[in-house]
Amino acid sequence: MSAPLLAITDLTVVHDGDAGTRALLDAVSLDLAQGEVLGLVGESGSGKSLLCRSLVRLLPSSRLRIAGGSVKLAGHELTDAPESVMLKVRGGEIGMIFQNPTSHLDPVMRIGDQVAEGIRFHQGLDARAARAAATDVLAQVGFSDPARQYDSYPHEFSGGMRQRAMIAAALSCDPKILIADEPTTALDVTIQAQILRLLMDIRAKRGLSVILITHDLGIVAQVCDRIAVMRHGRVVEVGEKRGLLAAPSHAYTRSLIASHPSLPEEEAAPKAEKLQMPGAVPVVDIEKLHVRFASGGLFKRSSVNAVDGVTLRVMPGETVGIVGESGSGKSTLARAVLGLTPVSSGAIRFDGNDITSGRAALATLRRETAMVFQDPFNALNPRMTIGQMLAEVLRVQGKIESARIPARCGELLDLVGLGREFLDRKPRSMSGGQCQRAGIARALAVDPKLIIADECVAALDVTIQAQIVELFRGLAERMSLTLIFIAHDLAIVRNLCQRVVVMHRGAIVEEGRSEDVFSRPRHAYTAALVAAVPHIDPDKPLLAPPKMATAYAHAAAN
Amino acid sequence: MHRYKFVLYRPLQFLPVLFGISIITFILVRLIPGDPARVLLGTRATPEAIARIREQYGLDEPFLVQYLYFLRNLADGEMGRSILYKIDVLKLILTRIEPTLMLVLCSVVLSVLIAVPVAAVAARNQGRFADQAIRVISTFGIGFPPFWLGLMLIILFSVKLDIFPVSGYGNTLPEKLTHLFLPSLTISLSLSTVLARSLRAAMVEALRSDVATAARARGMPESIVFWRHVLPNSLVPTVNLLAVNIGWLIGGTVVVETVFALPGMGQLLVRAIFSRDYMVVQGVAMVFACATVLINFLADIATVALDPRVKL
Repeated sequence: MSAPLLAITDLTVVHDGDAGTRALLDAVSLDLAQGEVLGLVGESGSGKSLLCRSLVRLLPSSRLRIAGGSVKLAGHELTDAPESVMLKVRGGEIGMIFQNPTSHLDPVMRIGDQVAEGIRFHQGLDARAARAAATDVLAQVGFSDPARQYDSYPHEFSGGMRQRAMIAAALSCDPKILIADEPTTALDVTIQAQILRLLMDIRAKRGLSVILITHDLGIVAQVCDRIAVMRHGRVVEVGEKRGLLAAPSHAYTRSLIASHPSLPEEEAAPKAEKLQMPGAVPVVDIEKLHVRFASGGLFKRSSVNAVDGVTLRVMPGETVGIVGESGSGKSTLARAVLGLTPVSSGAIRFDGNDITSGRAALATLRRETAMVFQDPFNALNPRMTIGQMLAEVLRVQGKIESARIPARCGELLDLVGLGREFLDRKPRSMSGGQCQRAGIARALAVDPKLIIADECVAALDVTIQAQIVELFRGLAERMSLTLIFIAHDLAIVRNLCQRVVVMHRGAIVEEGRSEDVFSRPRHAYTAALVAAVPHIDPDKPLLAPPKMATAYAHAAAN
Repeated sequence: MHRYKFVLYRPLQFLPVLFGISIITFILVRLIPGDPARVLLGTRATPEAIARIREQYGLDEPFLVQYLYFLRNLADGEMGRSILYKIDVLKLILTRIEPTLMLVLCSVVLSVLIAVPVAAVAARNQGRFADQAIRVISTFGIGFPPFWLGLMLIILFSVKLDIFPVSGYGNTLPEKLTHLFLPSLTISLSLSTVLARSLRAAMVEALRSDVATAARARGMPESIVFWRHVLPNSLVPTVNLLAVNIGWLIGGTVVVETVFALPGMGQLLVRAIFSRDYMVVQGVAMVFACATVLINFLADIATVALDPRVKL
């Protein structure tokens, strides 16, 4: 094997805190060969982003420092190189793209200028030459009309196009290495597939080496050559992807793989079908629901159909998944069901009563439904302990006498698998998964007929996601909970829900038993969604025939 | 360019605002205790003379009628006659508007010239000596009242060093600017500290932002990161703060104009209040109110120009 392009040896980064020095990266050693794609996986806090920041010496805090080890780029040491050399390395040798293109692009600077900025500085071109070069790069990353789009601002583009712009900025100075830090996490699956394909195209054309940070083993399996698994600041396992995925040697790698919610094949065990009583009243009965939002200014009014003629029934004890890309109207539908957004036309019956009929019906609805939110941390009051929060809900509900409240709080924690000591904890001393469990306990405190969970695992690490999904599954079976589970992650919905509803542009395009919908999609849009999910098996290529999926993705992007 | 369309139709919204301002200033001015006719004629005036003056100026009419007269005159471009100066209030104000306008303009320019570099130095040296020193000095700047600060500046620069004139207003532009320097500095010393604090906070935030990280990851040196990414992203909140402060400043010129004997609107207002010159007080109050509306309009235009995301 020839000398690696990038050699990291025993790299150690420490945090100088008030309580002493703590190692955040502990003797990390990794190699990256010319033209190789290295996948870096691990949970949040495992140090994967920090590792990449350390390579170019952009540490996120002044309290962090590189305490030892070496980083050699084509034989040149970077850890003690002068800042003037690092300026040339950043962008010129090592380009970076980030998870959230919206926050990383300058909102008040034209897209093209942000791409040209690096070209002007690194290659010393004048304004006109840099503009021409930047326009060329924009065309390479898939801008259809780069000469005109050069002058647009980031907010005028969709998330996928913003990520393309960021890739253009990173590639503008022809780096040898591209570090992509969760580049598709904020994007819809079909857009994610496009961005991944773009990265692979560029790598093939330019012979680029790529370090791809992700929490999604499916992405790694699809696009990487080698995988490095990180945990607690250490690399626990490195290897060629097929070998590593097929025979992981480290226990942590095994649990990561086990947690990955791949779409199972036909042999998946059928979920327990609940017998429906003939004549049972549906918990939620939605009929020809329209929700329109007014948009535009004082003089030019128009309206957007967020929900466009949706008819849906949820029977008691059912677990229904709603999937669709951002903007498909799934959250609006949930908000309408909870009476949180005005309905333009159609009817929503909760337990047989029309919730649009008046305040009384709405009050009943609010007493008997609960919601679990996407951001577990921000959905909890930071000043209250979990015990206070649960007790407050129980007191307001008034369903049980006050003497029983402390005991009930304990029971609720048992239900969601949190120890009793959490009664006295506040959200800031809890992890994301624990916060989400507390949020579910709060939803259960209402003793609800219906729980709506809106993207409630999207912000969590995969292993935690798997735990929360398992918790929901257990609760649904034991308590015959009625659950509407909204998610953009098809695999999770398939694992949890008996029935699934696919939404696209405010309308339901397909609906049916989860197994049927995902293994034999009838609608082209569902097929595109399913095909865009990166499979953990490297031999199931992502979007083999890309035509159908991209057609839909383009429609969605515009 | 459609983002600037509000420049055309926003002035329509000013009409009801101005109408409201006219009602409020009209009522407020008449709530001032004391009788202008008595002030004009002195304490020994006969009741007949007072009645004649009251009739001549319409002061004997009911409130509503007085207000209607006021509106009709306003439509003709008149704001009534000053009791003290015996000329039309609008003409009177026009003779006094220039020094005040110049004072506000110079103060704002000077404040921005002080605030931007000061905030930049503080933000880029966050927590270090320069930042702490600027924080201490700016606390003094906010703490000292302008009337005292003005007097101290006069003693230092005019009496001891003899660089700038003590008071008054010149005839030619360079003369005017030299006369305006100390009053503007007095105002700027407090205004710039308010601006610098807001700007520093926004810059500290922007220096840590993802935008700055991304620019550094492209290999941009810290100076480009700062001037091309951090500064433009920090300006918007400060522009709005500046607009609020200019509105407050226009009223605040009263003190500074008095200290430096500038023949501006502030001075006119003080004299008018003491002599119960209703029409002048009312006119000046209206001009101040209109100026505030106009400044906020300009701030909106500036915000749209600075931030391409903003639609009004």
